[in-house]
Amino acid sequence: MRLRTKGGYNVPLAGKPTGEIRALPEPDALYLPLTSRRFAFTQTVVEDGAEVAPGEVLATDPANFDVPLLAPRAGTVRLGTVENHITLENTRREMERPVQVGTPDGHSIEVKRRRLVRLGAWQFFEDANTGRLPDPSGVPRAVVVSTARLEPFGPRGDAQLAGRLDAFERGLEHLQSLLEYQPIYLVVPDVQSPLAREVHESLRGLAYLRIVTIPLRYPFDHFALLARGLGLEADPSRPVWALRTEGVLAVDRALTACRACTERIISFGGPAAREPAHLSAVAGYPLEDILAGALSEEPARIINGGALTGETIGEAQKGLDAECAGLTVLAEPRRRELFAFLRPGWTRRSYSVCFLSALRRAGPEPLTTALRGEKRACIACGFCEEVCPARIMPHLIHKYLYSGALDDVERLGVDLCVGCGLCSYVCPSKIELREEFLEAQEQLAEERQHAEEPLA
Amino acid sequence: MRVLERLFDRLRPTFDKGRLARARPLFDAINNFFFGPKTVARVAPHVRDPLDVKRYMTMAIVGIAPAALAGIYFFGLRVVAMILVSYIVGGAVEVLFAIVRKEEINEGFLVTGLIFPLILPPALPLWMVAVGVAFGVIVGKEVFGGTGRNPFNPALVGRCFLAIGYSKAMTSAWIEPGGGWIGRATEYVGADVVSSATPLVLAKQGEFAPLANLFWGNVTGCVGETSAAVILAGGLFLILVRVANWRTVAATLGSFALLGLLLRSLVPEHFGPVGWHMLAGGLLFGAFFMATDPVTSPITNGGKWVYGVLIGGLTLLIRSLTGYVEGVMFAILLANIAAPTIDEAVARWRVRKLGK
Repeated sequence: MRLRTKGGYNVPLAGKPTGEIRALPEPDALYLPLTSRRFAFTQTVVEDGAEVAPGEVLATDPANFDVPLLAPRAGTVRLGTVENHITLENTRREMERPVQVGTPDGHSIEVKRRRLVRLGAWQFFEDANTGRLPDPSGVPRAVVVSTARLEPFGPRGDAQLAGRLDAFERGLEHLQSLLEYQPIYLVVPDVQSPLAREVHESLRGLAYLRIVTIPLRYPFDHFALLARGLGLEADPSRPVWALRTEGVLAVDRALTACRACTERIISFGGPAAREPAHLSAVAGYPLEDILAGALSEEPARIINGGALTGETIGEAQKGLDAECAGLTVLAEPRRRELFAFLRPGWTRRSYSVCFLSALRRAGPEPLTTALRGEKRACIACGFCEEVCPARIMPHLIHKYLYSGALDDVERLGVDLCVGCGLCSYVCPSKIELREEFLEAQEQLAEERQHAEEPLA
Repeated sequence: MRVLERLFDRLRPTFDKGRLARARPLFDAINNFFFGPKTVARVAPHVRDPLDVKRYMTMAIVGIAPAALAGIYFFGLRVVAMILVSYIVGGAVEVLFAIVRKEEINEGFLVTGLIFPLILPPALPLWMVAVGVAFGVIVGKEVFGGTGRNPFNPALVGRCFLAIGYSKAMTSAWIEPGGGWIGRATEYVGADVVSSATPLVLAKQGEFAPLANLFWGNVTGCVGETSAAVILAGGLFLILVRVANWRTVAATLGSFALLGLLLRSLVPEHFGPVGWHMLAGGLLFGAFFMATDPVTSPITNGGKWVYGVLIGGLTLLIRSLTGYVEGVMFAILLANIAAPTIDEAVARWRVRKLGK
C-alpha cells in the first residue's frame, strides 16, 4: 500500500549522520533533566545521597501515567546540585538484573503494559493524532510503526535496524500480543536497499502487519499525516498508537529481557558536526562531553531534535533528556555577504527557482541559522500552500491571524497543521508561520476547554 | 569591502536613538542592500531558504527590464527620464511612509516604480508622471498599510488617476516609434513630436496596423506595451522562475481569445479579429506583468483562474463595446476588487473538502 501525498520538501542540509554507531566513553556523572519535550518528572522518589542500581526509578511524571525517569547506571543520587536535574555521581556500569513487574509468570495484556511503563518503553509511544503520551490501559484503534525519520536530522531507521532485525521482529510480535485484533501498520520509506529488501522479506509473512510505503520526502513520516492518510483521524475514545524503530526495540527489550530501556541510539548531525554519525547514549549523558571537539564551527546552535522542529538547548540543560532522539548542530552566521540578493546563486539551493542552482542538481548545503532575508509583509507568492503537507493555506490563515479573526483561522483548518516548519522555511517574507499556527492551536484548545466547563 | 561592512557596523548605533533614530528604516535599507542582513532564525525552523523579498522583486525587475529597454529604443531618452522621476518620487513617498510608520522600507516600490512609466504615453509631461506615481503609491498602497496589504495595483491606481484627471494628455501624448539599429535610443524627444493615434484608436475607425508591427513593437502606444516580442520574452522568464503565476496569464489570455472568437462569430460588427487584438494595446503587458502581481490577485490557485477569466473577459468587453479604446486597466482594477471575494469562495470550497 502506498500513501498518497501532496507537498513536502527535503531541505538540502549538509551533515547527514552516517550509519556508523559510536559508543561514548563512560561518563563520571550523569545529569538527568527533569523535563523533556512531553514530560515533567516532578515526583522524585529517591533521596539525596541514595545509592541506586541501573534501571531504578528516580522520578515519575504524575501527569503522564507515572512514566518513570530511570537511572541508566549505578551511582549516587544528588538532588538540587544542578537546578532542574537529578545528578548521578560515581556512576558505574553494573550488571542489570531483570526487573519483576506483577507476578513472574504473568503474561496478561495488563501486566505487559505495566511492564512497558515501568521499564521505560512506554515513553516511546505517542498518540498519532495528538503527539501526546497515550493511556497505557487504553484500547487503540490501530498501531502505526514507522522506520523512517525524514527530518534533518533524526536517527536513521536503517542505522538502528542494522543487525537488530530479529529484535525488531520480536518487538512487533510483542506489540501484537498487546492488542486484540487491531492492525499494525508498518511504514517504510520507498527505497531500494539490501536492508529494505531484508525487512520486506522477513516481515511480509506476518498476517497482522500491513506494510505502507511513503516517499522519502519530509515530513511524510509524521504520525498525524500517516494517521490521516490511513483514515485514522482523531477520535478521543479510540486513539492510534504510534512508535518508531527505537520504540519497537524498546518493547522487545522490556518484554523479552525484562530490562530497563535506558540506552538509546541518537543521531548527531548538522553542518557544524565534525563527524556526523549515530551515538549510543543514555539519558543524562553530559552534553559538554558530547560536544567537546565535535563541532567544526563555533559558535554553534545545539538543537534537540531536527533543524526544522527541534528546540534550542540552552545553557541550563546539562545532560541529554529522557526523550532526546538526536542532536542537530548549526553554525551561527559570521559573515555578511556583499550584494547577497544579486548573486547568481549557483551553489545556493532554494525551494524556488530564483537562483541559478535551479539549473543543476546541487548537493546538500552547510546552512547556518541565518534568517537570510528581512521580515516583510506577505507577498502572496503561494509557496507555503504548495509545500504544505497538511493541505491547508498558511498564507490565508496568517492573514486572518493578523486581523485577529480566530474563528476564521479555525474554520480554515489551523488544527490540521502538524508543525513541520516547511512554510516558515520557504517563506520569502520570513514570517514565523509555524510559531503562529502552534500558538493559535493552543489558544483555540484553551477556548474550547473554557467552553466545555460548566457555567459556575 | 570589509571596510564598508565595518563602517555600517560603526554607524548603526547612531541610528538606535537620538535625532537620527527616525531615519533608521533608511539606514537599514541601505545597509541590507549592500550586505545580507545579520538576523538569525529565532525559533524553529532553525534554517531558512535563501529566497527573500529582495531577490523576488529583483526577478520581477529582470522580467520587466526588456520591455523598459524596448521603450527606450522606440521612444528615446525621455523614457529614462520618466523612469527616474517615477523612482525618485515613488521612492521618496515610500521612505517617508516607512519613517513615519517606523516600519522597514519595502522593495515593492522598485517594481511599481519601473512598471508605472511603462504604462504611460511616452510624451506625457514629467510632472504628470510625478503626480501619478505619488497618487498611486499613496492611495493605491500606503493608505492600506504598504506592500503586501494593498488591494489595488498601485501603478494602475496612478494611471487611472491620470487617465481621469488629465484625459487629454493621456490620450494624445504619443510618439512615433523609432526604427533602425538604435531607434530613438540616443535622442530626447520633446513633447512636440506627437503622432496621431494608437493602433487601437485606428482600429475603431476600421484601420488595422500590420500584425508584424504589433509583434515587434514599432507602433505608437504606451512606453512598455508596444512590443509583444519582448513582453513575451520577459513574461515567460517570470513564469519560468515562478514569480508570475502561469494560471493567471493563461486564464487572462485564454478567456480573451475564446470569448473573442465566440462573440466575433455572433456579432462580427462589434468585435475585431481576435489574434490582432491579442497583440494590440496593453493586453500582453497587463496579463504578464500586472495581473500576475501576487499581492493584488487572489492567493489561491483556483482563484487565479477565476481572476484571469474576469480580466480577459472584461478587457474584451470594454474594448469592443464601450467608448474606451483600451480596457486592460479597468479590467484589472475591477478584478482587484473581486480578488478577496474570489479567495474567500475558493477557501470555503477547499475547507469543505478538507472537512470531508
